[in-house]
Amino acid sequence: MKFTVPIGPQHPALKEPISLRMTLEGEVIRDADIRLGYNHRGLEKLAEEKTWLQNIYVTERICGICSHSHATCYTQGVEKLMEIEPPKRGIYLRFLVAELERVHSHLLWLGVAGHEAGFDTFFMYTWRDREVVMDILEMVSGNRVHYAINTLGGVRRDIDDLQKKKILDSLDFLRRRSEFYFKIGANEPSFVARIAGVGRLSKEDALALCAVGPTARASDISQDVRKDDPYGMYAEVPFEVATATSCDVLGRVVVRVKELMQSYNIIEFLLKNLPDGPVAVRAPRRAKPNEVVSRYEAPRGENIHYIKSNGTDKPERLKVRAPTLANYPATVVMLRNGFIADIPLIFAAIDPCICCAERAVVLVDGRSGEEKIVLMSELRKQAHERWKKAPLKKDAVWPF
Amino acid sequence: MNDTEIIEKAKALLGDKVLEVSNPALRRIFMKVDSKDLLKAVQVLKDDLGFAYVATISGLDGGEDFEIIYHFANAFSQLNLRTQVPKTNPHVESICAVIPGAILYERELQDMFGLVVDHIPDSRRLVLPDDWPAGNYPLRKDWKYERPPEKIPGEKS
Amino acid sequence: MAILKPLLYIFVYPGVIFLFVYSTFCEWFDRKVYARLQNRMGPTHTGRWGILQPVADFIKLLAKEDIVPERADKTLFTLLPVVGIAAVSTAMMLLPVWHYNVANSSPNSFSGDIIVLLYILTLPTLVFFLAAWSSTSFFSTIGGARVLTMLFGYEVPLFLAVLSPAIMAGSWRLAEIAAFYQHKPLLLLPNIIGFVVSVICLQAKLERTPFDIPHAETEIVGGTFTEYSGKKLALFRLMTDVEMVAGSGLIAAVFLGGFPGGVILGFVNFVVKTLLIIFLLTLIRALTSRIRIDQVISFSWKYLAPLAVLQLLITIVLKGFVR
Repeated sequence: MKFTVPIGPQHPALKEPISLRMTLEGEVIRDADIRLGYNHRGLEKLAEEKTWLQNIYVTERICGICSHSHATCYTQGVEKLMEIEPPKRGIYLRFLVAELERVHSHLLWLGVAGHEAGFDTFFMYTWRDREVVMDILEMVSGNRVHYAINTLGGVRRDIDDLQKKKILDSLDFLRRRSEFYFKIGANEPSFVARIAGVGRLSKEDALALCAVGPTARASDISQDVRKDDPYGMYAEVPFEVATATSCDVLGRVVVRVKELMQSYNIIEFLLKNLPDGPVAVRAPRRAKPNEVVSRYEAPRGENIHYIKSNGTDKPERLKVRAPTLANYPATVVMLRNGFIADIPLIFAAIDPCICCAERAVVLVDGRSGEEKIVLMSELRKQAHERWKKAPLKKDAVWPF
Repeated sequence: MNDTEIIEKAKALLGDKVLEVSNPALRRIFMKVDSKDLLKAVQVLKDDLGFAYVATISGLDGGEDFEIIYHFANAFSQLNLRTQVPKTNPHVESICAVIPGAILYERELQDMFGLVVDHIPDSRRLVLPDDWPAGNYPLRKDWKYERPPEKIPGEKS
Repeated sequence: MAILKPLLYIFVYPGVIFLFVYSTFCEWFDRKVYARLQNRMGPTHTGRWGILQPVADFIKLLAKEDIVPERADKTLFTLLPVVGIAAVSTAMMLLPVWHYNVANSSPNSFSGDIIVLLYILTLPTLVFFLAAWSSTSFFSTIGGARVLTMLFGYEVPLFLAVLSPAIMAGSWRLAEIAAFYQHKPLLLLPNIIGFVVSVICLQAKLERTPFDIPHAETEIVGGTFTEYSGKKLALFRLMTDVEMVAGSGLIAAVFLGGFPGGVILGFVNFVVKTLLIIFLLTLIRALTSRIRIDQVISFSWKYLAPLAVLQLLITIVLKGFVR
């Protein structure tokens, strides 16, 4: 017996709205379809009406977890358009925050993976230790989520020696904890039983479907923008690209924990080699007509911004591609022939960050069992009719 | 394989199909082909130059025509394949036959610019709501959003 | 006096009042230990150390809107929580707490009551399954199928493990089994495998991590209870708590030597021993992640069932030496 189960747009496993429609045969998924658009904010259109500087803060709000990624990707693109070179200290600080953000994002993801697998203790512990990174970020930038540290031509805040020392001290603690989590994630029998061999994505599929980030790296594709196309100061920083050959959720956990270790090393390198000097240069208000493609390795994969200027103080076009969108086609392949129990894990394993759009509500008719997708306008109409028919509240004044 | 080698090889393989090519920065190549040669060019890029990964597809409203930019990347470089279609007849061939991972970007292109992607495997809307009025394409330059006047139920007029 | 004693037994201790108070306490204990193991505070607000939190939750749920799905079988849907709570409360009555006499059998302690108790403890599973099917939601249906699938996994090892001490004691009566082990406490040691197996099976029976598959919230929303709300959900939650107390009471009676010492000392015995078992259950819950339904079945039949059979063999061989 085949039947379709809607997972989302509202579902306990999904923290953001997206609709996965699963065609099931018993406990086995035969097909999956992803519908997007519950969260579309028309940001690319909005960006065309804002100035170069305002757009930093617009792009920062694309995502709550990798806010720095989008802002940095945009900023380094615009700096190329304006032909300005940020000072070295500014670059170092910018990517210090970037690596701290990667640490916080990966720790967050580890916790979410534990929660989706029903391992709440793991979730509580990783999130407790994530607070250490959040505190560092707050100390460096003044904010916990939207750091707002980027500006055109550098960064907005400097750090002093005391802060530097505090970050280095916290790194020791984080390293120890991450090693512990690696031990648990790769050894706890019930957890490994849940994630090993689940959500297989072969190397060929990952290549054909253009998977990015840890999803691709867990399928043994050594793809990392920081290595392939070094931006900022990554050409001078020693680090390795973490890959895994197991092509499953376990591989994605391993890749992320390995990346955590690499990030700690990068942070240590950046702090120990922090050059002196100013943190920012003045940026012009306008950019010459030109176009630029800016790439950035966000915690979830490659961010790419295409920016075109037309000589004014506003962009002609800003195209944003978030890494999660690139991983959706691969997710459908991963879900096929899996179990229902694996849906949250597989879906969480791409670390979804939903920021794209469409509005629909699925209603199931109580009597006939007929399922239909109702448009928002239709739903509003129904609600309006119902409101009209409601006898008592009809004459009430809104708000009550 | 560096940028000049890639450009040389692409020119050799595609011949006069390459309309213009530039290399404004390290690891950034911009190349232009005619829209009818697009599929062939993508095939060559994928098979012979290793550009199997399409990062995204950007659309651009250039007044008279639409410009479509396919952003490819491999381990050595980043290549942007540009093509143009007239606004009066906005048809472009789907590249999903060569690179299946491009499907979502092509659907987004259809939504946002009103381009028609021929032979696309799945032409449903991606980001716009299902009750979005037909003929409205948000990222076209002449499209302006008009917010409907807000009506509060029970409000005194 | 002859009437007063059974009335006290049914209504005060270990009857309805004690049962409900103690089961909410056990839920608090479970939640608090679980929270401390996770580096959290757990309930703190209601009552001293949050001890009244489960009661507050219960009252809050009673006050919530009660929704019955239109397509659901309404009678069944409404009746099931009551049937469930009746079944687990009856199970509690059969534990040898104080009102029994080893020499004579009585309605709450008779030869074969261990079988009846095990049977009654199976009823909640069927109630869960019927509740899931009668609510006709996708998620409930999947949850219901999972409840039954899991039943085939843990039920046989549980029966085998719990019955082997009974074979050793040579009785099918809980009071006699407990008395036998109170007389020869050293014989409890060979039953250690059976104890471990039955604690794991009880965990599966109570549908707690790693066996919370039928209502895994990240997979199938509320699973069995997706459509339940208000009073009915409150009753189901209470039922799970009572089942936890009754199940750990059964294991304590069989494996830990029962609850000797009359009313007062027996009461202390009961509380300490059941809390010990609940603590073990909480430990398992905190230290594992949820496994898949196919893994539950293979785990039960690959490890639990052979271990239970091994326990049975040990018991039979030992019995030859003891007598």
